[in-house]
Amino acid sequence: VTGLRFRAILAFGLGALLLSSTVGVLTYLFAERYLVGQREASLQREAFVHARLVREEALRSQRPAQTLESLERAPDSTILVASTGEWIASSVGIGPDDLPRALRRAAREGVVAHQRFELRGQPSYAIGIPIPAVSSVYFEVFDLDELERSLGILRASLLGAAAIATLLGALVGLWASRRVLRPVADVALAAEMVGSGNLHTRLEPINDRDLDRVITSFNGMVDVLEQRIERDERFVSDVSHELRSPLTTLSAAADVMQAQRTELSTRGQLAFDLLAEEVERFGRTLEDLLQLSLSGTEAEPVQLTPVELGTLVDRAVAAAGTHVCVMVDSTAAAPTLVDERRMERAVANLVDNARRHAGGVVAASVRLRGDQLQIVIDDAGPGVPTAERDRIFERFARGAATRRDRSSSGGGLGLALVQEDVRLHGGRVWVEDAPGSTGARFVIEVPWRPA
Amino acid sequence: MSSVPVRILAVEDDERIRTVVRMALEDEGFVVTEAEDARTALARFEEQPFDVALVDIMLPDLDGLELCRLLRRASDIPIVIVTARADSHDAVAGLEAGADDYVRKPFVVKELSARIRALLRRIQRPTIEASNEQPTVYRIGSVEVHASAGVVLRDGVEVTLTRTEFLLLCELARHRGMVLSRETLLERVWGYEYCGEGRLVDSHVRRLRAKIESDPARPSLLVTVRGLGYKLQA
Repeated sequence: VTGLRFRAILAFGLGALLLSSTVGVLTYLFAERYLVGQREASLQREAFVHARLVREEALRSQRPAQTLESLERAPDSTILVASTGEWIASSVGIGPDDLPRALRRAAREGVVAHQRFELRGQPSYAIGIPIPAVSSVYFEVFDLDELERSLGILRASLLGAAAIATLLGALVGLWASRRVLRPVADVALAAEMVGSGNLHTRLEPINDRDLDRVITSFNGMVDVLEQRIERDERFVSDVSHELRSPLTTLSAAADVMQAQRTELSTRGQLAFDLLAEEVERFGRTLEDLLQLSLSGTEAEPVQLTPVELGTLVDRAVAAAGTHVCVMVDSTAAAPTLVDERRMERAVANLVDNARRHAGGVVAASVRLRGDQLQIVIDDAGPGVPTAERDRIFERFARGAATRRDRSSSGGGLGLALVQEDVRLHGGRVWVEDAPGSTGARFVIEVPWRPA
Repeated sequence: MSSVPVRILAVEDDERIRTVVRMALEDEGFVVTEAEDARTALARFEEQPFDVALVDIMLPDLDGLELCRLLRRASDIPIVIVTARADSHDAVAGLEAGADDYVRKPFVVKELSARIRALLRRIQRPTIEASNEQPTVYRIGSVEVHASAGVVLRDGVEVTLTRTEFLLLCELARHRGMVLSRETLLERVWGYEYCGEGRLVDSHVRRLRAKIESDPARPSLLVTVRGLGYKLQA
């Protein structure tokens, strides 16, 4: 709820609310003043007419009381006439005590007075007109219910209008933010495509002074990125060729010398063995390094095909000359989508690691844990100390045990390559204690994608 | 094999590699003829017969792939290509150009010689089988495989297959309707145990389809069974 779109909707909505409520309140105030003024003026006119009739009638007959019946008055008004301490009223519902005290006092003192007030919860309007000629005071009380109802309708319509305006404002905000955000969404989509390896993605130039710079700089960035990646790939390819060729000579020369090894002196044999071993190790490191640098590039895209993991693990274990039975959960036996070459390489590297550092694989299994497939490789070695469990997957990292004994170690890239291969599957690899022994348990976990 | 030495034509532009690989292969009991470029290789090939060709992809005068195609057109000797690239691009291209297998530099000579021996072993097999078995003809749709005669007809017209393609087709035909995994095919057709790659089979299946299927993009005879391998329809 903190996105740009949300903020735009909020701002537009609040703006529309503020504007429409200000206009509404002002409109209401003016309308109310006008309507109330109009109504009061007409009621006053009516009251004066009535008061004059009462006065004339009283002068003629000396008895004002009867006249009230004959007055043509609206059904929502009540007339009260006070003459020398005696009250007569046109209806029984309203008595002199209902009149506002200030109004009565003012009228009795000979001043024409009028006042809005509440009569038993009803908005009312009262006028007091002194009639000195007959020493009477004429009061008329009007029920303002109708006016109040009109004002209520006005209030409701203005409130409704404000609500609709707010909603419209929010919608305009949504629309405007969509419009503004569309190029941003395009950039995001393009960036995602570049991120997923499609380096040929470019943004279409659009005729917009504000956005031109974003698009130009985005495209420029991808250009640079593409060039750099191409250069890196070319570099890897060049290094590959430049190092592989002499290494081929070295390796084949070592093979030739191997045949004549017995003709060498003991010192010579020792030196040759070291040489041959290092050449082999160099070759392996170079291979891992190149695979690692090519990993995930266009040269080696991830290709998911249906594979029986049990068979794959079986093959990888057997290829290392180890003979263990691979336990496969019946639920995990069906073919699943993986990059076969990468997965086989990852398992082979774990098996190889076990063979080099930990006395070989003693158990292997494939199992399903929730929606994750796990390949579990147990070895018979001394295990991996907790402190080193993350570090061993780093490039050129070796466990403390193997650092002392370099001759038995691999290139130091095998586990890094495993991590990379598993990562490309959207999975992870870790090491823990093998249950019931001192050895280590390596677990490859990838999302289960049944074929 | 010990009586008749195996003759290898090694095409490699790097003189040091060429020399030392020749020495190493000679130690393994092969007779090696060197060629530093494609032209020399073709000239040597004209002069004398070879049992195996070892071709480096990067050659100064002609692309190694092109040399593969020329050699393949001239004969069906096993061709092993040698690549220095870390990715699989060259390997796949080489197999598409008609090579039977590939090795990546730096290779271990022992492994290379094991592969060469395996490739050669299976060449002798069809003739052995021909003498032991009754003449066998498999009919798959419009395709006829005369296993013992080494002839494949499609709609009555002979189709030219390389030896590897022919052996692959025979193996699948012998087990018609059964799924054969890539590993099984590597073992039975190439004679490899746990040292070849599945794509070796895939590349050859693709080429075989192009020759026997009416619509190679939608194969009806040689079908892929997802996750398991390949099958020739019964």
